[in-house]
Amino acid sequence: MKLKICHLYPDVLNLYGDTGNIACLARRLAWRGLSCEVSQFKIGDTPDFSDFDLFFVGGGQDFEQEVLLESLNRGAARELISAIEDERVVLAICGGYQMLGQYYETYTGSQIDFIGALDLYTVGSEQRMIGNCMSRCTPDSSGAELVGFENHSGRTFLGANLAPLATVISGFGNNGQDKTEGARYKNVFGSYYHGPMLPKNPRFADFLLETALRRKYPDAELAPLEDELESAAHEYMSNRLSGR
Amino acid sequence: MSLRQIAAIAACKLTKTALRLLRRGGTTLPGRVALKICPDILQRVSRGVRSVVITGTNGKTTTARIVGEMCTQAGQSFISNRSGANLITGITTLFIDNCTLTGRARLSFAVVEADEAASREVCRFIQPEAILLTNLFRDQLDRYGEVTHTRSSVLTAIKNAPNAKVCLNADDSLSVSISCEVSNEILFYGVDVPIYKGEIDEVSDAPFCIRCKHAYEYDYRTYGHLGGFRCPECGYRRPEPQISVTEILELGEASSTVKAQLFGEEDEYIINLPGGYNIYNAVGALSLGEAAGFPREAAKCAVAGFDCGFGRMERFELGKTTARMLLVKNPAGCNQALNYLSGLTDETLFVCCLNDNFADGTDISWIWDANFELLARQIDLLPAVFVAGERRADMALRLKYAGLPTEKLQIFDDYDALIDAMAQQDKPVVIMPTYTAMMDLREKMSARFGGGAFWE
Repeated sequence: MKLKICHLYPDVLNLYGDTGNIACLARRLAWRGLSCEVSQFKIGDTPDFSDFDLFFVGGGQDFEQEVLLESLNRGAARELISAIEDERVVLAICGGYQMLGQYYETYTGSQIDFIGALDLYTVGSEQRMIGNCMSRCTPDSSGAELVGFENHSGRTFLGANLAPLATVISGFGNNGQDKTEGARYKNVFGSYYHGPMLPKNPRFADFLLETALRRKYPDAELAPLEDELESAAHEYMSNRLSGR
Repeated sequence: MSLRQIAAIAACKLTKTALRLLRRGGTTLPGRVALKICPDILQRVSRGVRSVVITGTNGKTTTARIVGEMCTQAGQSFISNRSGANLITGITTLFIDNCTLTGRARLSFAVVEADEAASREVCRFIQPEAILLTNLFRDQLDRYGEVTHTRSSVLTAIKNAPNAKVCLNADDSLSVSISCEVSNEILFYGVDVPIYKGEIDEVSDAPFCIRCKHAYEYDYRTYGHLGGFRCPECGYRRPEPQISVTEILELGEASSTVKAQLFGEEDEYIINLPGGYNIYNAVGALSLGEAAGFPREAAKCAVAGFDCGFGRMERFELGKTTARMLLVKNPAGCNQALNYLSGLTDETLFVCCLNDNFADGTDISWIWDANFELLARQIDLLPAVFVAGERRADMALRLKYAGLPTEKLQIFDDYDALIDAMAQQDKPVVIMPTYTAMMDLREKMSARFGGGAFWE
């Protein structure tokens, strides 16, 4: 069994250690003797996403946003939307998550159109939502507890038919108001969790891998791993945020 | 002179004395008290003091130490915020310490290290003769936001001191861009040649042109996004520096030797700390020395003989062995420390202490942007790797991903046990702590094995 992973825009969307997520996916396959191939899709590359099983897109700085939108408009957005409709797995964090939505309305009221793959939009606010955070995934999205660190000024609101990824236990989540965190559409998982998210949330990491594998190999099962350090890092934050 | 000013100075001095009596290092609280009473107290107490300000993401403290040594070599007595209290509160304490109750300054020269955000107010109040910007890298994003925000802060600081000569790093595209937006006299400094052999495989904090957003091309890279950058689209490029390192003669384990030119006059310089980033600190200090009019002989002696400080390759005796401490706080600085470590040829015990208090940065995800994979390359020279600090579990997990065998990892829940374990073995130790971890460790190691208190 083999997965082909595509890291979208590592040249611009590379804040907060999110590349650790790619390392996590690749290692958790390798530790089980499964193979994977990681490709990078950068600004200026010609998009052809038909061959990939799993996509990762991270967060970035505002400064590079224009460069990114230009690349998306030159065909990458179309390719990504068709991969999403084809039920390939996508993990999108922070800026990458916002980018999958309809638009971003800045604090001063101007609107930047995004690719519209998911029915959500984001509104800029003056106050940044920063801090350690914890939530529980919906049963459809593994039911695992997630811990991480969020740092965003955009408040994201989900359309009526779009499910959240998780319910906030501690922290702000999508908007600091409705207790939702992230979004789930087909096999797209959007989240505000940096950290990076996957290494210390091994249950959720395996859920993503399993989802991607089963799309290709319906009977795929993942053998358990020795997750001592992973669990220690997870438990530490979980205990701290629940005051234990 | 107003009553308010006298009250502020008196309150500051009293608070400091009280803290000393309680055996606490009083570096920020006294200044805070004074600022509460008299918000422009810093402007008042810095009158008659010539000063230079050092700001930027990495290298502030080391550079300030070199410039301090330059003063000593030139026979100029000076004050300096040596313990790294670089916010407006700590700098206010520094200047009030230096004045009489009536606000008259005693020493007439100050070497000030200022936090990037704090530099705006500091420069406005103290009107320095010269400002040195070391570099701009991504730092603790929970505090500063994007690197372009940090750039704006420093830009404002420079605009607030229009008469200051400004030293900018010619190899840093983010710093250089400031020169077109200010009317100050500018000196550029830099490194004209690559420092390390081989490709620089690090995340760039500034891959796209700050003017037109086209990708930069590089004639050479020194580290991070620093080097001979140029934009093929709009022509924005590294300027010709007036002060620069022209040749790397030797990169040693304890020092470096380089050739450098100051306005065309070339000479050989020994830099009393190892590592490529200290070459930048030295050449930055040389340019500040030129801007402030120090004799070149004093500058040369300072670079060769300055005392490293406060977690910057600081040495500690630990029973049977010695430890060196390398403070880390962001990916660029951490990569430089790892680079140094991976160049060592003796067996070395590596210790990593990660905290997430406010002064460390509450977001620790930057450890995944730093190239700890370098350690795996010299696994044979690492008898063990010790991990401690509040976020030790995250650090250990990061090291597992870096390819360190888990049996080499030892996790310590408290510093006493860690210090015992370090002292009970005989291999030299390199400790990489974050800021508050360094403070805790210093205090405990000093108590056990001697050494100075932090406010000295």
